[in-house]
Amino acid sequence: MQTTEATPTKPNGPVAAVFLATGIGSLVMGIFVVLNEVSPEISAFLKFDANFGLGSGVGPLSGKATLAILAFFVSWLVLGLLFRGKEVKFGPILTISLILVAAGFLLTFPPVFEIFAP
Amino acid sequence: MHLTDKELWTLIHGMGLGALFLMAFGGGVAGLWSMRLRLVTKEGLEERTPRMLIGTTVMAVAAWLTVIVGTWVVYPWYRATPPEGLDLTVQSDALREFPRYWILASETTAEWHNFGMEWKEHVAFLAPFLATAVAFAVLYYGAQLVHRGEIRRALLIFFTLAFAAAGIAGLFGALITKVAPIV
Repeated sequence: MQTTEATPTKPNGPVAAVFLATGIGSLVMGIFVVLNEVSPEISAFLKFDANFGLGSGVGPLSGKATLAILAFFVSWLVLGLLFRGKEVKFGPILTISLILVAAGFLLTFPPVFEIFAP
Repeated sequence: MHLTDKELWTLIHGMGLGALFLMAFGGGVAGLWSMRLRLVTKEGLEERTPRMLIGTTVMAVAAWLTVIVGTWVVYPWYRATPPEGLDLTVQSDALREFPRYWILASETTAEWHNFGMEWKEHVAFLAPFLATAVAFAVLYYGAQLVHRGEIRRALLIFFTLAFAAAGIAGLFGALITKVAPIV
């Protein structure tokens, strides 16, 4: 019962895909938080409530959130198809995912994203 | 005993969905932690796996509903624009109906928005991403997770990060609501 290698399990590709997608969604949120500070034009574009009718009175957060959610689900779909049925090296995938999630945490931290404000 | 619609939705967002997510964390971590061959019998695993799946799925759904309700229902009330002519430099009773502007009207409270709300509204979105990854992995592997130690450990990390993101958002949400409630 102590040896796990001999026990056949499903390939880890689909789980690797959702882990990477989590990192990508987090990073995209962070990037748009920064871009919203950098450029008034991008900030205006990110008002998806006013521009595309996604809510009312939400402001640029509507665009940042929508794009991050899209990035998460689209990248999950693409990576899921790419990794389907495959056993991938999970260590590097986890490391990359954690770096991307950490970048998301960092870029949503006000003292960091305010550095980019003009 | 009366709650306005705004207070009710704020309650659903914070004390309902958000608190459900945060409170379920302990059980989820304990479940994932103990999914090891040397700690569970075959019968124990069969009993535990569906509970883990339900728990992580509920947490992921709660995380999504929390940020969706928070962003598209509650947040617009927080950032509502006061009518022209209202003095935005004095924390008057009239300005109380516009929490963002009331907070920003004084240097002693402005950081609740500039730091607290600005961090909360963005970092919160990392929680549903992380929680969804955990729920999917539990759904995908089920009882086989006991044979995939590296994935189980990764799930514990993701789960903890989801809790951290939701915890930051929840903490600032509660404190900002105390300073300037949505009424």
